[in-house]
Amino acid sequence: MKRHITYLSKTLNANGYTKCLPLSRFISTQEAVERRNHIFSLEKKRQIEQVGRIEKIEVRYKGIPKDTTFIMNKDLSTPYDCTKHLGQWYMESSALAVLDGSVYWDMHRPLTESCTLELQHFKVSEPQQVNKAFWRTCSLVLGACATNAFKTSVPVILHSFPQPDIRSGSFIYDVDLPSLPDWQPTHQELVTLGAEYVKFIRQNHALERLEVSAALAQEMFVDNEHKTAQIPSIARTNGKVTVYRVGDHVDISKGPLISNTSQIGRASITSVHKLTGSSESGVKQLYRFQGVALPTGVVLNHFAFSILTDRAKKLNSARSPLGPDIFGKKEDDMEVQQSAAAKA
Amino acid sequence: MNQADVSKLVSKLRIKVKAEHRNLRNPKGPEGRIDKLRKTVTGLIKFERIEVNYNRGDEARQYAERLISEAIRHGDCHTPTMKMADFWLLEKELVHKLFKVLVPRFENSNVSFTKMYKAPKPQYSRNLEKAVLELRGNPYPDLFTKQPNNRLWIQNVLLEAAKHDYRQSKYAEIAQNMAKNEEPTQVNSEAPKSEIIEDIKTQ
Repeated sequence: MKRHITYLSKTLNANGYTKCLPLSRFISTQEAVERRNHIFSLEKKRQIEQVGRIEKIEVRYKGIPKDTTFIMNKDLSTPYDCTKHLGQWYMESSALAVLDGSVYWDMHRPLTESCTLELQHFKVSEPQQVNKAFWRTCSLVLGACATNAFKTSVPVILHSFPQPDIRSGSFIYDVDLPSLPDWQPTHQELVTLGAEYVKFIRQNHALERLEVSAALAQEMFVDNEHKTAQIPSIARTNGKVTVYRVGDHVDISKGPLISNTSQIGRASITSVHKLTGSSESGVKQLYRFQGVALPTGVVLNHFAFSILTDRAKKLNSARSPLGPDIFGKKEDDMEVQQSAAAKA
Repeated sequence: MNQADVSKLVSKLRIKVKAEHRNLRNPKGPEGRIDKLRKTVTGLIKFERIEVNYNRGDEARQYAERLISEAIRHGDCHTPTMKMADFWLLEKELVHKLFKVLVPRFENSNVSFTKMYKAPKPQYSRNLEKAVLELRGNPYPDLFTKQPNNRLWIQNVLLEAAKHDYRQSKYAEIAQNMAKNEEPTQVNSEAPKSEIIEDIKTQ
């Protein structure tokens, strides 16, 4: 008897249980992850089944070793499938696809129409977009790592991560830890977090993309009050929410992301800072997890990498979800003014 | 002075030639040495890139250079050159390759026709030194790739930003120091400034 996952909540809704029994109170973080993963699998299966009759599209590949044309399946084949025809090196190193010379496309996102295809890795001549995708992926994986790392007794509620800013020196994830009001991570805890991160990366998960309706997204993130609050504004434009799955962790991101976690090489989680403030949703404080990572194959000596990790320890100045004025930006401005005055 | 000009009799090679030949020790003596070298020269002309022991490769390289330069000098209608090619190339279709492919390729070149690299070997082994011998203009990819550097690569962006950050903090520090020095006395405010500027230069 196959039934959609929403069946459960529909019956609950029909019987009016949800009002008196909010689901979020009864599931642990791990159960919520499994549930989300399950919904993702079902939805993905449904979308693939929905394609119906398979049509063919023509994908003209440009680049090394030579320009070729692939005949692929519409709405099923991904750029990753195209790389399978080219060779293992292309499968492993391609991080991002470019369609028609301008549209940046995930490696695991089905192609919808005939197009030209170029593949980008981390050493192309203009890697800005690949770098951004890499940074975004690192943030998303940091969320997954934070969810895994804590004991089940500590609820972890992921909040969000901002636009990737590589020049800031660190990738971020803002996490709500309601049971830890005053947590100062020790060095050992940070090392453990970093180890968890590397362990997660080494499992070589592909990053799967799915566009779901706002209602289903609400259903997925029913245990996470921050995400449920964000979904309506994300879905405002076209009623769709883009979710990504890496391993069994599902998260919202605008994308595009890189192809596989194996493309993240050297990584370390450098610091966790407390953000305080107040927002409309009533969140009092968040923890900002920060880290720095490099793609696989980038060799950097330990001294240079230590410069990067030292810099990533400082609080990243990206805008906080709890309001703009919590960073002591005023102080910074003051300092700048002072120095300007001194120079003059 | 009726001595002939040597460079007109023998073509000058563009590689370094040792004064003494190497014996390439083997049971058959000098004849065996020539056999070995013929095999290597044939292999080089055939495959265009081979890996050999360094001594044998270096020796064979000289004969190969000489053979190609003779072929360029005299062309394929010159009996001694043809005999020489016939002797050195064990597979006879390579004689055609020498005159029809390699001569046009190297006619206008002004560098050596072959290239030799030292090949890697295990660090603490008693193996003979290995070398890679190749003809220039071969169809294979280069053994040494140029290491390009791009300031947009993610590691360079990160390091660049870190450098910028560090400089900004230093400037702020210097500015603070200057402000401090100016406050108490205005007389010796010049000296620390110049020192600071020197500091920046040395950094």
